[in-house]
Amino acid sequence: MSHHDASGSWQRILGSLTLAVLLTQLSWSGWALAIRPDFILVVLLYWALHRPERVSFGWAFVLGLLADFQDGVVFGQHGMAYGIGLYAAQYLRLRLLQFDPLRQAAQLLPVFLAVQLGVLLIGWLAVRPPDSLAILLPVMSNTLLWILIAGSLRLLYGKGVQHQ
Amino acid sequence: MAIPGQLMFARRLGPTARLLIWLGVGIACVSLDTRYQAMEGLRSGLAAVLQPVREVLRTPGVLFAEIGGFLTQHRQLQQERDALLRERMQLRSEAVSARALSSENTELRRLMQLPVRSSTQTVRAALLYQGQDWFAQRITLDQGSEAGLRAGQPVLDADGLVGQIGRVYAQSSEVWLVSNTDQLTPVMVERTGQRGLASGSGQTNLLDLRYLPAQTDIRPGDRLLTSGIDRVYPPGIPVGRVTRVTRPQASPYLRVDALPLAGIAHARTVLVLVGSPQVAPLPAQAVTP
Repeated sequence: MSHHDASGSWQRILGSLTLAVLLTQLSWSGWALAIRPDFILVVLLYWALHRPERVSFGWAFVLGLLADFQDGVVFGQHGMAYGIGLYAAQYLRLRLLQFDPLRQAAQLLPVFLAVQLGVLLIGWLAVRPPDSLAILLPVMSNTLLWILIAGSLRLLYGKGVQHQ
Repeated sequence: MAIPGQLMFARRLGPTARLLIWLGVGIACVSLDTRYQAMEGLRSGLAAVLQPVREVLRTPGVLFAEIGGFLTQHRQLQQERDALLRERMQLRSEAVSARALSSENTELRRLMQLPVRSSTQTVRAALLYQGQDWFAQRITLDQGSEAGLRAGQPVLDADGLVGQIGRVYAQSSEVWLVSNTDQLTPVMVERTGQRGLASGSGQTNLLDLRYLPAQTDIRPGDRLLTSGIDRVYPPGIPVGRVTRVTRPQASPYLRVDALPLAGIAHARTVLVLVGSPQVAPLPAQAVTP
């Protein structure tokens, strides 16, 4: 099975994931850091929706380890949470693809929430209770980022990005 | 679940099974990391690989700050210069008297046959990266073990104590801030000399002063300095300022809130004290087992 269309080639997937890692690596601070969306997760779920055969749990886990390193937290925290997010996205995939980005985002909000609650739970069990509920702020920014990314890509490519 | 590109009846693990396997791997990772500290190799490897990336990606933030600095108003700069000139004059006069006191102190110490205080060596480091961690408060500095940094060394800025070096890599290091939960700093009240323990609360602008008896003389505005009895921090570094003192009915201790003086919010460069802290030698019976 081969894909000859340019959208969703390996270069694009790797390129967008690299961009997500680099964006996370920027020197965020203060309130910008508090609401910083989880770029890696959003990009990962985007490809999980549009190129499901190329995004595996192994990928999600390795990217999660990278995110754990970037934030200096315990290894495996994001790895497991991204796995949960990927599972949910795969489960909802056929349903989500029928909707426009705005409605997709509305349905992905619980998925982002589940991922963040996974991070919260793992950190809580492994380290200590969280200092505040600010941990739930990125759920909103992830959803907004999804609208931004999925919306602009749909404007660029139409619905062709998804699997025909 | 039908995934295109895959045979429908292929003998392959389903997504649920694969998720469970990876969750198992994740749990193994977490326990290896927290219980056995077995992942430090991976961490320092990633730190070495990502060091140049972090160096490069720090520039947008620095550039942003510099553009902001360039656009500050002339009037503001003049005011700042006047304030600095005043401060310099005051510091000069203080330096003269400090020099006199220092020589007097050395002489007295020699007379009393006490060890002479060594001057502390410092390493300048800048903020490299701040990660989003909801369970701890730390920053990453751009200096590491190659510059002589070791775990446990105190980190200060112009206003006071920032924190303590945690993990150290070759060219970068992590700092646990004083406001980090579980971070204990032995302090004393500057006005009275009363000793206590300042513990982080998890919020950047709040320290708790623990285990002070209810009759302690302490009031809002008191400055807290490191006491130096922990053999980690040298004595006399400003840590915080008391903001609120309450006397709970049920507890024999006071509830004291303090505001940390140093903050990464207003300083991007810090000093790390790399020399060993100046501590009095242990009494003889404590050294011999």
